[in-house]
Amino acid sequence: MSYLVQEDFVRYECTCGSLSPIPKLYFCRHCLKLRCGYCVCHEVDSHYCSNCMEHLPSAEAKMKKNRCVMCFDCPNCFHTLSIRATTRAPEDGSNKGHLKHYYLSCFFCRWTTRDVGIPDQIASSGNWPLKENPHQELLSSFLEHYKVVAMRERSQKDKKPIFPRRGYSTYTEKFGLTNLIARKRAGLPSLPLPGKEVNPASIPPIKPCVATDVIDTLPASYFTDVPDLTKITTIAQRHANPMIQATVASELHPQHRHFFIKRSLRCRSCEHNVSKPEYNPASIKFKIQQAAYYHVPEIRIKTFEPLRAGKPSEIILKVTNPTSHVTSLSFSPKSEVNKGGVSDSVILDSLGAPKKTVEIPRPVVQDEPNTQVELPTEPIVLPARDDAAEYDDSGDTHNFHDDANVVVWRKGNKAAVKFRIVPDRGMKPGDRSIFSFSMEYGYVNTMPTTAEQKSPQRAEMQVNVLIAPGLIVGNLD
Amino acid sequence: MELQDIYYDKTEYVETTSGNKVSRQTVLCGSQNIVLNGKCIVQSDAIIRGDLANVRTGRYCIISKNAVIRPPFKKFSKGVAFFPLHMGDHVYVGENSKVNAAVVGSYVHIGKNVVIGRRCVLKDCCMIEDGSVLPPETVVPSFTLYSGSPATWTENLPDCTQDIMIEYTRNYYQHFVPRPI
Repeated sequence: MSYLVQEDFVRYECTCGSLSPIPKLYFCRHCLKLRCGYCVCHEVDSHYCSNCMEHLPSAEAKMKKNRCVMCFDCPNCFHTLSIRATTRAPEDGSNKGHLKHYYLSCFFCRWTTRDVGIPDQIASSGNWPLKENPHQELLSSFLEHYKVVAMRERSQKDKKPIFPRRGYSTYTEKFGLTNLIARKRAGLPSLPLPGKEVNPASIPPIKPCVATDVIDTLPASYFTDVPDLTKITTIAQRHANPMIQATVASELHPQHRHFFIKRSLRCRSCEHNVSKPEYNPASIKFKIQQAAYYHVPEIRIKTFEPLRAGKPSEIILKVTNPTSHVTSLSFSPKSEVNKGGVSDSVILDSLGAPKKTVEIPRPVVQDEPNTQVELPTEPIVLPARDDAAEYDDSGDTHNFHDDANVVVWRKGNKAAVKFRIVPDRGMKPGDRSIFSFSMEYGYVNTMPTTAEQKSPQRAEMQVNVLIAPGLIVGNLD
Repeated sequence: MELQDIYYDKTEYVETTSGNKVSRQTVLCGSQNIVLNGKCIVQSDAIIRGDLANVRTGRYCIISKNAVIRPPFKKFSKGVAFFPLHMGDHVYVGENSKVNAAVVGSYVHIGKNVVIGRRCVLKDCCMIEDGSVLPPETVVPSFTLYSGSPATWTENLPDCTQDIMIEYTRNYYQHFVPRPI
């Protein structure tokens, strides 16, 4: 079955200790380690509108408040609004011909801009009126005020005499990250030139908020009238526009559509990309794609006998080699190397500063194996992946010396391996059986790690696998 | 979990030279306007409305039982016009789903009991969950999972969705075998 629709029967243990199915894992070819979503840095590459597929770089998207200029969301059901046209005779009675008028309409809930009294527009692109935040003026006055206050505090701090050296120094001082650049990064306006005094009188005045004890009582209609729930907005509708939070449906107002993002992922230890998509939102190609699906042998459950507590049953796992190099798999009991403690270090600073490392604690693995497994003792050789072999129907003529009791089937880069599992005696029917083992496999790294090593390097890899085939069924007796 | 064999009645299905397996119990209207590009499976009681406009599918498309593939229409001031429906490679359409889209990209998974409104655009590598309703003229971007009614973004799909879908549809085709006598 497809990974997209089924639950996760087979999970791999990431280097950090968390369990994920193989499509959600990445394999860093520089560290030669598995990385899950928590072990990679997520970086936004570009913003795009999911409706009109317009894409913008981050800076420009920020200017537009991360919303598409053209597309609107229905405030009622959150589907995208469509532009509809009607022809109408001119209002002044002149016979200049019919004019086209446009309004926005939702094809799902049939909400239209006419419902809330937004006038029709003459241009199809429409300068649709946007509802201003009622507190816009107050908020911007605060913003202005505190910008100046911050600026003043800063200049005062700069004027202070330099104290004797402290026991520590900040990054900004140490690595020449000047205040100017730091401010630019933070998106603040640059400071006034030194010597130029900020005039205290020039601070824009603000009206401070005043707390009050007097709260108006609710109008009597709240208690006497029966509420018309069809006219009252839902929580989701209110939260979709937190500035206005319309309480009645007639105050709903369309909003510009949020951008979606394309993101690239970066290994947190070595800072190499493990996934980098193309910028175009319509493209599904990747510039860098190091999903574990293409590098780590895949394990799938083929079939298994009904599981009974304390009784052995056979399970057949299908293993696939996705790489273009021969590999050999061997199985051993789950290794405890990855258990507990701290994981490898993570680089904090990407600004070119010397690499400072911190140790991140491991997540707690809650699923404990409750089923014993007998592992094959002999290693299993898997040939390289060959796309042409898919079309080859002639019998496989590989000369593998397999134990027929272990390898029950083989084709191309795939093999079916038989395991024997015994669920623990104390398990009740309906309990989920979980077993685990460690899989060692050879991996050929074609990435030149150092300048001298040009030829592919062979490395022995190890990964812990947790398999939950299903539930315990009742005993026969 | 590996897909189990799905058996079909050999007398019920027609297999073409390009490997399409089409049930006799389907309604293929305007069959001259329907192009199945090979290794497609059209299961019993599916309906493909080629009489309205051209319907073209790529390779390895699976159209499950009771699914309806129907080209979309657009209303104009003078009546309506139907538009052709293109479907990419490696597309799975689940049971009882109604597809009214303008374009269905490649590597798309449409679940069971889904309604895809008219003139929707499903980009490559997207997925619609079981029982969702996609309103008319929705665009579903790549690597997203849409669900609900109206269907909205729920999750992102893994980066290797393309290969997962290729694997899945190929596997399905290989496991779709005549019942042994």
